[in-house]
Amino acid sequence: MSKAPTPKPQVFRLDSDAVEIAPPSDAPVEDRRPEAVIAAEAAAPPAGASLWTRLFWVGLGGLVSLAFGIAVSTLIDDLFTRAAWLGWAGVAALVLFLVGGLALLGREIFALRSLARLDTLRERAVQALLDKDDRAAARVAGDLLAAMAGNARTARGRIAVQAAFAEGVVDGAQRLRIVERELLEPLDREATRLVAEAARRVSVVTAVSPRAAVDLAMVFATAVRLIRRIAEVYGGRPGTLGMFKLVRHVLAHMAVTGGMAAGDTVLDQIVGHGLAARLSAKLGEGVLNGLLTARLGITAIAISRPLPYIGAPRPDVRDLVGDAISLRGDP
Amino acid sequence: MVWTGWVNETRLAARSIAAYATDWVNPTLRLGVTGLSRSGKTVFITALVHGLLTASRWPVFEPQAQGRIARVRLEPQPDDGIPRFPYEDHLATLTGPRDWPEGTKRISEIRLAIDFASNTGFMRGTEKTLTLDIVDYPGEWLLDLPLLAQSYAEWSRRSVEAARRPPRAALAQEWLAATAEIDPFGKADETEARRLADKFTRYLKSCRDERVSLSTLPPGRFLLPGEMEGSPALTFAPLDLGSREPAGDSLAALMDKRFESYKRLVVMPFYANHFATLDRQVVLVDALAALNAGPAALSDLELALSDVLTAFRPGANSILSSLLARRIDRILFAATKADHLHQTSHDRLEGLLRRLTDRAIRRAEFAGARVEPIALASLRATRETTVTQRGQSLACIVGTPMPGEQAGGEIFDGLREVAVFPGELPLDPTGLFAGPEAFRGEDYRFVRFLPPKADPSQALPHIRLDRAVEFLIGDRLA
Repeated sequence: MSKAPTPKPQVFRLDSDAVEIAPPSDAPVEDRRPEAVIAAEAAAPPAGASLWTRLFWVGLGGLVSLAFGIAVSTLIDDLFTRAAWLGWAGVAALVLFLVGGLALLGREIFALRSLARLDTLRERAVQALLDKDDRAAARVAGDLLAAMAGNARTARGRIAVQAAFAEGVVDGAQRLRIVERELLEPLDREATRLVAEAARRVSVVTAVSPRAAVDLAMVFATAVRLIRRIAEVYGGRPGTLGMFKLVRHVLAHMAVTGGMAAGDTVLDQIVGHGLAARLSAKLGEGVLNGLLTARLGITAIAISRPLPYIGAPRPDVRDLVGDAISLRGDP
Repeated sequence: MVWTGWVNETRLAARSIAAYATDWVNPTLRLGVTGLSRSGKTVFITALVHGLLTASRWPVFEPQAQGRIARVRLEPQPDDGIPRFPYEDHLATLTGPRDWPEGTKRISEIRLAIDFASNTGFMRGTEKTLTLDIVDYPGEWLLDLPLLAQSYAEWSRRSVEAARRPPRAALAQEWLAATAEIDPFGKADETEARRLADKFTRYLKSCRDERVSLSTLPPGRFLLPGEMEGSPALTFAPLDLGSREPAGDSLAALMDKRFESYKRLVVMPFYANHFATLDRQVVLVDALAALNAGPAALSDLELALSDVLTAFRPGANSILSSLLARRIDRILFAATKADHLHQTSHDRLEGLLRRLTDRAIRRAEFAGARVEPIALASLRATRETTVTQRGQSLACIVGTPMPGEQAGGEIFDGLREVAVFPGELPLDPTGLFAGPEAFRGEDYRFVRFLPPKADPSQALPHIRLDRAVEFLIGDRLA
């Protein structure tokens, strides 16, 4: 806009030779991505640790790797002094170890990045909707569509989204909603089903298990598995480090929202617990554990989902537990 | 609401209790469609009804996209005293000879029944029917509603003052001269009254001309008299009263009496029977025509829009308030004819609309109503392209201009398609309101186009009509 005077209104004949006219269409215009935005996205988040903590870890890391290096090199020296073939075998084992380790590391980094990408998408979507910034929202919708291309479950939805966009002029906020409707709602259903299943399993096992230690292990294992499977549904492939990060996220999120969530379901919990406890303390415990698992699952969905809830219904602990309890008798 | 008086309020309350009871069984939504003349009301309703009836693929209209709408059908119009909106005729005009239909001259109504499956709450999955009444009325009538609060003397003073300012002064010359000649406190004379009313009406009509395109012109029925043409209630004109009150059997007293009759016979029935029963409202605004006509027309449009909005009873409908009186809980402001611009300029048109309706929006939102400004084209007459000229690429639109339209020294024959670069709207619309020289030599001329070639059995091209429909009725189909 700032460069040169704005061009005057003009009329061109379609058969004119002086100018070049692209074939007319109804197609929506792709929004170009301004460079500034890419730069802003690429900027790493500020480091959280203080200088002293970093020094500590760097020092410790250095010492540990030195110790490990020396241990390995003395081991291989030792082996060579005993017999040459033993030494070569040791070297071969070391190579295998290094190759495998690097591959694992690469996979972890990749998984972490895919998680982070979904995280940024959600944050950008929230920001765009909050600012009512249509262009930003359209960009998020485009990026999400690209990110979801690797998720086999969304093939049908992606075609539906493309058809909807080709239908005419659709603005950013509406694009996000269409992406949510066509891509994420089927995934939401899948994820909710997983949560209901896990809650059901936990409540049954807690109710029938003979020892507290067994339930505890079971609840923990189920929770970890649930978080991983939900992340997989939405296209994140969390590795081990990714899982740590996710679990930390889930716990932090629950700590923040737990109070509120308890606020609206605490009555159900107490009533449910109390009522059930009268029947059997064990059964009551089962219901309570089921509730907790359901809430954990919902939190996991909220942090794995690459968009905030725009028009889709938010899953409700009550619905899920209703499912868990009523379906218990079903095969 | 002062002017309506408590009798009327009570009547409205009684009626809305009845409406509430009916709503429980068979929900009805009354959607008002208005806008000053030539803003595109008729085409909007035709496209809306057509889109619903043919189940157009509207990706933004959720119930449709989710496949929850089972059937949409036209129902007999409920009010026997009001003409039905001639949807079929308008559709035939648009798609057959490719003409824009005749404008709205009076109130009309059309009823649709939408069978849909609910997806929320207890009723999830059950089939329900929403009855949608679309009420079409001229926006000029809304400008009359503020008259209810004014006396004849007050209205006279305002009208005469407005007429003496440019750009109206030139158009009002003849009528003002005639008013100056006569003595308002002389004996009443019917011939005199008719002569003045006639000149006043002609002045108002000339203000609506495309070249000046002014908007604030009450009383609205003078422009669109309908069946009341020539009746005494429409035979009056403002007089220059000074500070005296009309009295005795003077001309002023006669005019005063007729002004009151106008309010009683024309404005009040419209308010009570139609306007006060609406649930949702669409206000269509032709911002481009005002831009064509210049800064005065633009600021006049702004004034008219804020006048229009004082008439609404916006606010959220709680159970209690909807028992007492219906309120309009959603208002859509639509800048029509967005197809005259390339889609990259649409957000600027929307910005301009937001600026035009700024006061109105704040007031309505304060009252709890939801307001949304959208740039739309109910029927998209153009396609888009880029023209590369001397290395510079211009975002253009392609369409067939109306026969007789002129641009760039060319007169179009209505047969050939051309590519038009419509110019750019300013990034910040505030500058456009900065007084008579606001456009700074920028000459906005938007060529008018013929309707597109379309098959009436297929979906019609549009811009953001689905978003408008989602905003207006989407939540009632949940």
